[in-house]
Amino acid sequence: MSEKISRRDFLKLASAGAATTAVLTGCGPASRYVEREPYTKMPEYTYNGLSTYYATTCRECAAGCGLIVRTMQGRAIKVEGNASNPVNLGKTCARGQATLQGLYNPDRVGSPTKQGRGSSVSPMDWDSAIQIVADALKNNTPSEIAFLMGTGSDHLFDLVSDLANAIGAPAPARFGALSMFESRATLSKAAENLLGQSAMPFFDLANADIVLSFGANFLETWLSPVAYTRGFAKMRRGNPKQRGYFIHFEARMSQTASKADEWIPLLPGTEGLVALAIGRLVAEAKGGATPEAFASVDPLEVASTSGVKLETLEHIAQLIVEAQTPLAIPGGAALGQSNGLSTAEAVLALNALTDNFGKPGGVFVSPLSPNEDAYHRPASALEITEFISKMKSGSIKALFIHGVNPIFELPKSFGFEEALGSVPQVISFATFPDETAIASDYIFPDHHGLESWGYQRVATGSMQPVLSGLQPVVNGVYYTTTDPDTGADTSELLYNARGTADVLIAATQLAGGKFAEALPFKDEVEFIQSKLVNLISEADGSFSAPEINTFTAYFQQHGGWWKKTAELATPSASSVLSKSVNAETAQFAGEGEFIFLPFVSPTLGEAGANKPWLQELPDPTTTVMWNTWVEINPETAHELGITNDDVVEITSEAGVVKAAVYLYPAIHPGVIAMPFGQGHTAYGRYATSVGVSEKFMDLVPTSQYVNGGKAFPRGANPADVLGAHFNEAGDLAFAGMKVEVKKTGEKQVLSRLESRIGVYGEGMGEEH
Amino acid sequence: MIKKFFEWVISPMGRVAVLIGVLALFSLATYGISQSQASPPQPLEFRHDVHVTKGVQCLYCHPGALRGPSPGLPTITKCWGCHQQLAITKTSPRLEKMVALIDPATNQPTMGFEWVPVVQVPDFVHFTHRPHVAAGVNCEDCHGDLSKMEIYENPQVFNMGFCLNCHKEKAGDDQEKLTKLTDCGTCHY
Amino acid sequence: MSNQMVDLNRVGAKGAIAEAAEGKWGMVIDRDLCTGCQACVAACAMENNLSFVGEEDAGYGRTQHWIRIERLWEGEYPGVKVEGGFQPMLCQQCGSAPCEPVCPVFATPHSEAEQLNLQVYNRCIGTRYCANNCPYQVRSFNWRDYHIEPFHANLVTGQLVFPLHNQFNPDVTVRRRGVMEKCTFCIQRIHSAQDKAKSEGREVEDGEFTTACAQACPASAITFGRLDHEESLVSQLGHVSRGVKHLEELNTLPRVTYLEKG
Repeated sequence: MSEKISRRDFLKLASAGAATTAVLTGCGPASRYVEREPYTKMPEYTYNGLSTYYATTCRECAAGCGLIVRTMQGRAIKVEGNASNPVNLGKTCARGQATLQGLYNPDRVGSPTKQGRGSSVSPMDWDSAIQIVADALKNNTPSEIAFLMGTGSDHLFDLVSDLANAIGAPAPARFGALSMFESRATLSKAAENLLGQSAMPFFDLANADIVLSFGANFLETWLSPVAYTRGFAKMRRGNPKQRGYFIHFEARMSQTASKADEWIPLLPGTEGLVALAIGRLVAEAKGGATPEAFASVDPLEVASTSGVKLETLEHIAQLIVEAQTPLAIPGGAALGQSNGLSTAEAVLALNALTDNFGKPGGVFVSPLSPNEDAYHRPASALEITEFISKMKSGSIKALFIHGVNPIFELPKSFGFEEALGSVPQVISFATFPDETAIASDYIFPDHHGLESWGYQRVATGSMQPVLSGLQPVVNGVYYTTTDPDTGADTSELLYNARGTADVLIAATQLAGGKFAEALPFKDEVEFIQSKLVNLISEADGSFSAPEINTFTAYFQQHGGWWKKTAELATPSASSVLSKSVNAETAQFAGEGEFIFLPFVSPTLGEAGANKPWLQELPDPTTTVMWNTWVEINPETAHELGITNDDVVEITSEAGVVKAAVYLYPAIHPGVIAMPFGQGHTAYGRYATSVGVSEKFMDLVPTSQYVNGGKAFPRGANPADVLGAHFNEAGDLAFAGMKVEVKKTGEKQVLSRLESRIGVYGEGMGEEH
Repeated sequence: MIKKFFEWVISPMGRVAVLIGVLALFSLATYGISQSQASPPQPLEFRHDVHVTKGVQCLYCHPGALRGPSPGLPTITKCWGCHQQLAITKTSPRLEKMVALIDPATNQPTMGFEWVPVVQVPDFVHFTHRPHVAAGVNCEDCHGDLSKMEIYENPQVFNMGFCLNCHKEKAGDDQEKLTKLTDCGTCHY
Repeated sequence: MSNQMVDLNRVGAKGAIAEAAEGKWGMVIDRDLCTGCQACVAACAMENNLSFVGEEDAGYGRTQHWIRIERLWEGEYPGVKVEGGFQPMLCQQCGSAPCEPVCPVFATPHSEAEQLNLQVYNRCIGTRYCANNCPYQVRSFNWRDYHIEPFHANLVTGQLVFPLHNQFNPDVTVRRRGVMEKCTFCIQRIHSAQDKAKSEGREVEDGEFTTACAQACPASAITFGRLDHEESLVSQLGHVSRGVKHLEELNTLPRVTYLEKG
């Protein structure tokens, strides 16, 4: 150093150095400061890092598939099927897998809420909530109290039924979008007409060698999809000597139809005629007299009406004649027509012709669930309109809603939302802030299915009577807060929900008198035990126990109780063939060039829109994610000057809906189809749209989707264009609307998994 | 601008500045590394040496090591099991914190301690204790002689080199074992 | 298969792995049984902490589907068919993987012990060369920190709470942005089963555990197990005459056999 440095300059530098040191200590333990809290009392079966498994039942639909849920330190991590449960035998569907995103959904209702029909929203405590329920029960005439429930949660339905019965209120009505699209009333009415008993038929797919499905989407969401998929797999490849053959009749190639060896498109509403025509051809080929059921149908006429060639009908008839165990299944949109009941009867008659009732590979009556006296089906759409009329007339003063979202699930034309205006008090027990919940006076949130006790009767899907059991696999959803001053952590409950059964029991106790007598139980579990008690003496059970507490313990451990041997009732076929089946084409409501075919989204189901991984699952046939589309035949679209991603307006006599077009090669030229499951205006951030841009932004939405106002819808709801038209059994003729299609000039790019180039040559200079 | 800066650096003032800068960085790095290996403060200064020399087995408090990925931390119930019978519990000031957490009515703890983990590996390393314990690796081999540690401190850095050295040594001549123990996917997945 | 073709499974294509050319862990996927239901996709997502990317990024092809169901059309209305049925496509764990040699930092080595193609997240620097090279296009890249976008959080007493994170599987690393990922044949389950068997002093039995996708599939279309054990189900199914391996001609030595409709 040739020059001297002043002391002052040296000190300046030195202090700069020290300051740098202080700033850069990010490597110390302070930055990795993590705290671990062991259990205060370690449960005996728990080791850090090892999982605990609980058996329960899935509540994403009413099928009753058994689950084994892997939990670790109080968190549910993975859902697997319960290998012992006869319905699913260890398998799960996509909705069951994603149920964890419902349990841990950021948009669950966080506490009992004074909702004020959306106008004034404030949280409440449970004591006040229970008081309100008690008052609603006490202060209204029993005949003016109504319960509207979903098709799941059987134990709650039983509790409410018992309560209603005891206090003189009308029995609860059960309903759900799935049961609407499955036409459950039609199936059981057809069974009643032809087989003599109102029951849910069971189609033994596994042992059939040739299957004819008339619209039944049994690989998607129909009735018990996991059970029927297992049956399908067995039919296909279960017999080493013969591969099962599958023919599917449907105007569009659904996911189920795509697995068929022959997909036969036809004019919607002609499925019954086609079944009868085939039956007649089979009878003629076999020789002998043609049974009454098929006597009046003319195959040539049917060919021209339906669009199915006569050669095809003959070919199918020949296949049936040569088959050992042919099976015909009615379902889906075929029953959702004005002639749906006769269609179901025609298909059942076809089964009778091939004499497969009660035989392996044939038609059975689903066994009644343990403890069930008779088959109880959900309400039909017609019965729901009667319920809504009752609401409109003002004769319902207090309405309790659980497990169903009628504003979204029912066609707008039914007027449920308007009818709510005539009901003075509406109390919702919804777990999520769906459209009906936010339009209620109060939301007293039920636990999520994985946090619930209960049982689920298996209506169909198993050869044995099954009562599937539920138990909480977690104690709730928690989060940790750190006190900024003391540094101490506290664990707080994020969602303060409570079992609706517990709420009702507490409310009845509070109300006293006949209410308390109606439900003389300490809590939900005691109620459930009261329903299980007579199973102890039942023979042939999957387990036995000397008394109720041991029985309940096994019930929880196994995930339910079922009979070991199959109990499929054999319907009597004798009278079926001698009855004439009313064969006619369907009638369509409204004017329009196209027949509108809504179908339940195979990935979303009725209530999956708020689970982001379900939204990100590509639709099996179109691979579209996160949105709604309308399927149009490419030729038809070309004539109309419509191409992919064009937004079109679809108008029926009942309403309007808009959606982006997907040129779908496998659909009847006169039919357009739209999936059901999207179009929510509430129900959380994943079920709705953020706003202008669809990208996840740096927003921190808190209450805007919970208890808040309506959000932009994600996609569209096809129920908006459905009118109040029913088939003979009272089910909604959801595939019986005629619609007009109009270009809007807007474009909405659909997110697809498939490459556009590969499908339609888009971007390669080709045009369709 | 750059020329001026360069001239300043060459000047005596600048050279001293650079020297101080380098020294600062060096000391800071050393300090940082040492700090990252130092044991963090705990809610209660638990004396491993006292307990180990009295004959308490590692697996008594940390039984998970035998069965699964994590040895676990004992609940206060475990501590209280012995300490409620020991005279030192009433006299030691260090144990006051624990005694304060016991509810005299039930003789059970009301809360747990929020222990800060000392041995931490990144979450992209999946370490599991069970196969190590089962293979005869002693706790001291990795965690040091706890009979001599007042407050637990890592005897060496738990980095991949430390793991791999032992893995290679234990595998010895067994090719299959060596393949498995040096396979990336054995720990990183 | 013509007799004249050289069976690269026997000739030492890559020297050291020639002996293990048939692989250790493998799958058989029956396209005749697959119904396209996406249960496997959902199961994989839940098991492996996959992030969902939202509508816009999904449209850009940035979804994190470790397994995807492909649907190819053939024919014209009314004779349209889904060509060959639905096709689940996932990492084939190639014996001679084209993604392995191109990684500049060796983040995707071949596991000699398990005969799998590994993805080591902490080594990956995100060049995406491996995804480029994969002929099956089964690798996905974490373009953003999808998991911790504030959109997924609730603001509770001033802090961001992510309830969805409760569902994460602790046995699988949660990936940040900038790393590649792909199907691992549920290696965490492989290790878990091997550890359990070892602790009980026995070998892992066929069918004792399986991958998340195979476990969920209602049609039992996916079978997983040891290809090198003759009696395993996957071995036997793999020799069925309708079995094919995709893009075999590229000599990737895939470990997944597809049973075509037939």
